[in-house]
Amino acid sequence: MSVEPLPLVFEGIPLGLLPGAGRGGSDPHAVFSLEVRPHETVVVLGDETSGVDRLAALALGLDPAPAGRALVWDTEIASLSRVRQLAFRRRVGYLPAGDGLLQNLSLRDNIRLPLRFGSDFQPDDIEGRVNVILAQLRLKAVAHFRPAAATEEERRRAALGRALAFDPELVVLDHPFDGLAERVAAELLEVARGGEVGEGGRRTVFITGQDLPAMLRPRVERLIRLGAIPAGARA
Amino acid sequence: MLDFFAAIGRGTTRRFSTLGGPARFAFEAVAALPSLPGAGRRVALRVLLNQLRFTALQAVPLVILLSGVLSFVVIQTTIQQFGGLGAGDLVGTLMVVTIVRLLGPLLTALAVIGRSGTAITAELATNTVMGEIRALEGMGIDPYHYLVLPRLAGSVLSVTVLIVMFDVVSLSAGWLATSVNQASGGRYVTNVIAALDTSDVVLTVVKGILFGGVIGLLPCYHGLKVSRGPTEIPQAVTRGTVAAIASIFIITALLMLLFRA
Repeated sequence: MSVEPLPLVFEGIPLGLLPGAGRGGSDPHAVFSLEVRPHETVVVLGDETSGVDRLAALALGLDPAPAGRALVWDTEIASLSRVRQLAFRRRVGYLPAGDGLLQNLSLRDNIRLPLRFGSDFQPDDIEGRVNVILAQLRLKAVAHFRPAAATEEERRRAALGRALAFDPELVVLDHPFDGLAERVAAELLEVARGGEVGEGGRRTVFITGQDLPAMLRPRVERLIRLGAIPAGARA
Repeated sequence: MLDFFAAIGRGTTRRFSTLGGPARFAFEAVAALPSLPGAGRRVALRVLLNQLRFTALQAVPLVILLSGVLSFVVIQTTIQQFGGLGAGDLVGTLMVVTIVRLLGPLLTALAVIGRSGTAITAELATNTVMGEIRALEGMGIDPYHYLVLPRLAGSVLSVTVLIVMFDVVSLSAGWLATSVNQASGGRYVTNVIAALDTSDVVLTVVKGILFGGVIGLLPCYHGLKVSRGPTEIPQAVTRGTVAAIASIFIITALLMLLFRA
């Protein structure tokens, strides 16, 4: 009997060795291990010295792990060739901290970009998909805005829309709710979880951040809080 | 004594790594070309067309102004200073030697660096600081495909076309200036045609490709190398501009040595 690979696994990552981590706190030798199961929503919280800011990038292989490894469906993305890394990441929805929208594109074009660049869909199919996402995230009225003209909430909605463009089974959200009202955060979380996917389950969602609005806590399966790492813990 | 040699070694290594960074970047950019996905080609083509509009089309008035004024100044000076010695008849040859072979490509490249090279560095440095490059990679889009290659191709095409335009406008303005100065326009045309040969055409294309490559690559390299924050953007623009200008002059000197042009 074959075992389904887990969507996301962190194995023995020494958080104190990550860039930016280890300036104050309590546990110099903390290693981080976590298994995120299918259809689960897992939140990891910590302050900026805890290394939590780097977990999303580690998962996607954007940063190399100093030790240990991060696996997405049993694959360590960082160890793949560059071409395969890029192809693999298209299977994962990613919302980077600070939204990462391209400033010279409208919100609509930002959502359209991954579909146009990384899929063989026909232009009409792409437009259809983008319109659905815009409607789902209530962005239709501002879709033509450039990010600089949009509000923070609209930008975050667009960044989530872009992350969901390929309707991925796994979504990695890096500080997605910073600066948002609880009601908006709750709505975005529901969109990210996505309702029906594949065989009827929700998407697997991995969220990092410094805090989680109280309204959202009952809605996530697991909430893990990292300890801060003391000064001098880094190599 | 050992420290002395170690210091020399460190300095040399640093110099080579300064050169090696852009060289490696250029190699990676070209090596990324075959992996450009089919769908991505259409997007990259659109970015390329935008780049051509900005770098070539919008630069046309500036290039016409520069080439027209330059040729007028060269001819006016030549006829005024040496007209009495009979040098007025050689002005066509002078135009080919000074403008087609030297100043045309150089000034065109400098104009493109000033307009587009700085803009490319500033844009890509801003993209980097705003986390857009990382976001692209996170989405599975190679920044080489989406940002670097279209700018490189756009720059090569634009600079080549603009150099040819600079030469054509200069030589045409030269004919006009010759006529204004009551010199023989017919003789000017004859001299220009006699002075031009196939190597001028080849060198113009070679310079277009090399200058365009440098103007496309170095600003991208320095723009994407930014790491610390917004305060580094103007420094990156300066580094990119200086590196591109220095490279243009060095390439010109090397080509002169190689082709005796």
